[in-house]
Amino acid sequence: MENMIEFKNVHKWYGKLHVLNDINLEISRGEVLVICGPSGSGKSTLIRCINRLEEIQKGEIVVNNTPVHDKTVNLTRLREDIGFVFQQFHLYPHMTVLQNITLAPVNVKKMSRKKAEAIAMEKLEQVGLTDKSGAYPGQLSGGQQQRVAIARGLAMSPEIMLFDEPTSALDPEMIGEVLDVMVNLVSEGMTMCVVTHEMGFAKKVADRVVFMDEGKIVETGKPDEFFDNPKTERAESFISMILTH
Amino acid sequence: MMAFYFSRLMEIFPFFLKGLWMTVQIAFISLFTCTVLGFFLGIFRSGQNRFLKWFIGVYVSFVRGTPFVVQVFIIFFILPEWGIQLEAFPAALLAMAIMGSAFICEIVAGGISSIPKGQWEAAASSGLTMTQQLRLVILPQAMKVILPPLVGQYVLLIKDTSVVSVIGVMELTRVGWVTVVRIPEGLMVFSLVGILYFVISYPLILLSNYLERRMAV
Ligand SMILES: Nc1ncnc2c1ncn2[C@@H]1O[C@H](COP(=O)(O)OP(=O)(O)OP(=O)(O)O)[C@@H](O)[C@H]1O
Ligand SMILES: [Mg+2]
Repeated sequence: MENMIEFKNVHKWYGKLHVLNDINLEISRGEVLVICGPSGSGKSTLIRCINRLEEIQKGEIVVNNTPVHDKTVNLTRLREDIGFVFQQFHLYPHMTVLQNITLAPVNVKKMSRKKAEAIAMEKLEQVGLTDKSGAYPGQLSGGQQQRVAIARGLAMSPEIMLFDEPTSALDPEMIGEVLDVMVNLVSEGMTMCVVTHEMGFAKKVADRVVFMDEGKIVETGKPDEFFDNPKTERAESFISMILTH
Repeated sequence: MMAFYFSRLMEIFPFFLKGLWMTVQIAFISLFTCTVLGFFLGIFRSGQNRFLKWFIGVYVSFVRGTPFVVQVFIIFFILPEWGIQLEAFPAALLAMAIMGSAFICEIVAGGISSIPKGQWEAAASSGLTMTQQLRLVILPQAMKVILPPLVGQYVLLIKDTSVVSVIGVMELTRVGWVTVVRIPEGLMVFSLVGILYFVISYPLILLSNYLERRMAV
């Protein structure tokens, strides 16, 4: 299968802290990868490297045949293909939902406003929020904001969607509505990389689970194998910890 | 006697209006240049380039740490040393631009850094260039923080124009000085000067108060 994202011996340090320690990882087109691990293990750092929100000090990351950290890389071009969903949503508070979603298509893709709005409404329908197109982010619940953030990412028609703990900032009763939207994306064949501790989601749709600890990938496996029969002790204690939560 | 001086003062009132006009010119040209320069500097001050940040920081500290009247003298006396002959008027404009832009730089940089990092990251992730991130996402939000102190700074800048009287620019304060020699009613003369300053700065004070209230919500 064709590789969409490839990490080759990637290292990253924050001062003395070795946050990414020799990461090797291949994600193929259409694959859904779940990344989990204890707090501070480098999960966010890892996926933020994929669209170059973070620099790396050693190794190489190739996305869609583009070397991400190459000096000459066209960042705008690279990021057009990669949607990113943050734990804290980061919607633009001074813009309506519709403006949030059309901003990049109009300014990056140079799409006409009319076409961008048509696409935005399509994506809002996909996340079940057509009636909120004129609302401001501050008027929405957390779950609604996160669904808008997903629609905003999708409006650029990316080939890859990255999610960094998309449900961790939500009240429990809103987690389901966001996960449902993500599950639907999987059925569209989107390549997805999701940092999450939602075991149900992982078991339902993930092709692979990657377990990180102290900047390293400690274990990789099919979700059922990983969660039911972890090979390493560290993964085992981590899983029992999220189960008791 | 008072009445006599008052009628003398009214006779030369057109002279005051000329001074007022000069003050208004210096003030509004300076507000414009200081705003443009200040935003430019403020944006780089809150940016990524370490050297530029440091350099602008030094510039701002120097301007903030020395009296404006001294800055005016330095510019007026140092430029001829370097072979640049500046009349009092352009020298005054230059001094105002240097001083005002430093203060506005700090206001702008403060406003920009008040916006959470996540806003930059969300905008960057969607493919917007650095300039687009700033123009479309960051500045529109930062303006809420920037605007009230910016207008307050405008009022200060208008009042600071009086300092350039020391190098002979015939603006309001200098007109006061010149007049008081002929009409020795200092209180009367400088009350008139004060009233004329107030006429230009008061609308801005009202605007500043209004913005303060509006942005607070
Ligand atoms: N900008 C930074 N400067 C210095 N250290 C950082 C920075 N960002 C992250 N770190 C450190 O790097 C390590 C990995 O951080 P990262 O955010 O990738 O962890 P994580 O696995 O996402 O954790 P969490 O589950 O809490 O989100 C942590 O120890 C963190 O404190
Ligand atoms: Mg994280």
